[in-house]
Amino acid sequence: MEHSRKTLVLSAFVVLLLLIFPVSVGTEHTINLVISLFIIVILAQAWNVLAGFAGQVSLGNAAFFGIGALAFHFLAWSWGFPLYLALPLSAVSAVMLASLIGIPAFRLKGAYFAIGTLALAEVLRITVGNIFPRTVYIPTDQINAYSLFSRYYLALFLVVLTQVCAFFMVRSKAGLAMRALRDDDEAAETSGVNLFRYKYMALVYSSFFSGLAGGLFSYYQISILPTSLFGPQWTFEPLVAASVGGAGTLLGPVIGSVFLILVMELFALTLGKTYLIIFGAIFVFVVLFFPAGLIEFFRWLRRGKRVESVK
Amino acid sequence: MAQVIVYGIITGAFYGLTSIGLSLVFGVMRHLNIAHGSLLMIGGFVAYWAFHLFSIDPFLSIPIVIVILFALGVALYKGLFCHLDSLPEGQKINNSMLVGFGLTWIIDNLAILFWTSDVRAVTPAYTGSVIQVMDGLRIPVVGIAIVGLALLVIFSLHLILTKTFFGKAVRATAQDRDAGNLMGINVERTYLTFFALSASLAGIAGVVAAVNYSVHPTVGFEWLLKAIIILVLAGVGKIGPVFAAGIALGMAEGVSVYFTGPAYREVVGLVLFLLVLVYRAK
Repeated sequence: MEHSRKTLVLSAFVVLLLLIFPVSVGTEHTINLVISLFIIVILAQAWNVLAGFAGQVSLGNAAFFGIGALAFHFLAWSWGFPLYLALPLSAVSAVMLASLIGIPAFRLKGAYFAIGTLALAEVLRITVGNIFPRTVYIPTDQINAYSLFSRYYLALFLVVLTQVCAFFMVRSKAGLAMRALRDDDEAAETSGVNLFRYKYMALVYSSFFSGLAGGLFSYYQISILPTSLFGPQWTFEPLVAASVGGAGTLLGPVIGSVFLILVMELFALTLGKTYLIIFGAIFVFVVLFFPAGLIEFFRWLRRGKRVESVK
Repeated sequence: MAQVIVYGIITGAFYGLTSIGLSLVFGVMRHLNIAHGSLLMIGGFVAYWAFHLFSIDPFLSIPIVIVILFALGVALYKGLFCHLDSLPEGQKINNSMLVGFGLTWIIDNLAILFWTSDVRAVTPAYTGSVIQVMDGLRIPVVGIAIVGLALLVIFSLHLILTKTFFGKAVRATAQDRDAGNLMGINVERTYLTFFALSASLAGIAGVVAAVNYSVHPTVGFEWLLKAIIILVLAGVGKIGPVFAAGIALGMAEGVSVYFTGPAYREVVGLVLFLLVLVYRAK
């Protein structure tokens, strides 16, 4: 009890710091950096609920992100929907797309879901590239009214929403069922867990938030190249962030995303694009030898300290 | 229409080559190596450099490609994939996909670093030359070579898997790894060789890709997509169905381009993929 209260106070403090950050010390560069961080956190947590908690590895969350971003662009900028409608609708469009591949794939065992999502994202990337080959821009009147602050606070709101929803999702009966089917699907099914329902629920959750992140990205960017929205980096970076931080934990994706953005910023100046290779290497290393991620490393450090103080 | 069928068969033979290594490793070892497409890309680049630096005909550079990719396969299995072999099956598939995904990222970005992201193609003198069979039906020379190569690969694989001790060991361990081990099969060595063989097969497909299409560092992911669609269409671990599914996909794409234009070519593959998933689920 006391432990969770400490976490709550600490989280509130972090959110407070983030609230005053842009009006105090934030420069244009650092605000942009934090917005990118927020987008990665939302995507990483979305992937984490599906893969880390429910055990359904998706290799195509870029498809949900991309369709959310594309839907937002047309809803908000082409057809004039207000923000509070366009954003949820873009997330819903991602859920509809996810159902297309999820419903048949979840009825089968094995890797069909992973390769299905991978194929979905690649097909969309190529097809969208054929249909919309050019960069699209937000309308001119919107460019004139563009404010980084409104983007920042929307992103912050969505990140907090993501974390709060993930917290309640994981603690709920559905969250318990998801972990049960991840750890042993046969045992879970024997105990009365409807496998298909909870796999699908995790997918709906994940695609909804990925689509939301897409909508946010589309709102934040002045110009987007439609085909690049579906690029594998939109799957890979959140997946790395969640795995390196610690998949199957609530804080892992946040820690991983901060780590990712810091490494990116650090190496982008000296090594250019080479940081991507470093990410890949770290990621492969973590999957093979350190599957619990950075969060386990921190816990290990803390345990070590506690033992020392007892001595 | 006859022209569509001919191109469908040529494309399908290439798709079969792309998929065969992925499918065999998944069937036997339960590793789903997402980096298969990147190995294909490396094969294509080896053929490209062999052609441009030493003027070696791409089809003659295949033995070099096989040796290089075999060595790379050995290194990847020894360094990475063998650590997954002790995991239970479901986790092994999941983690091999994740490792493969990370590996794709590393290999593709290294390729961009060394070779830039320019699109390159191997263009020997016979590129583009065709044999006019009859009015409205032309067969490209390269296409004949691709189909011949595919047939050669099918028969050599069939011979290796049915006639040699290694092939029997592979089939035995695919059925039951522990029983194979008890019967005196060195499972680890068998897996190592088999994984490296699959990398070589990816390399062969890469040479064909470089001749018939083009290569650039991120092309592997696109060809991986085809390999995966075929994997689902054909089921795992069998040689014949892989090529049959490849030809079916090639023809379906050819016919669809005929009707809807090239923008929706990839969608046809996805729709086929979804139909198979729905059909299998029942």
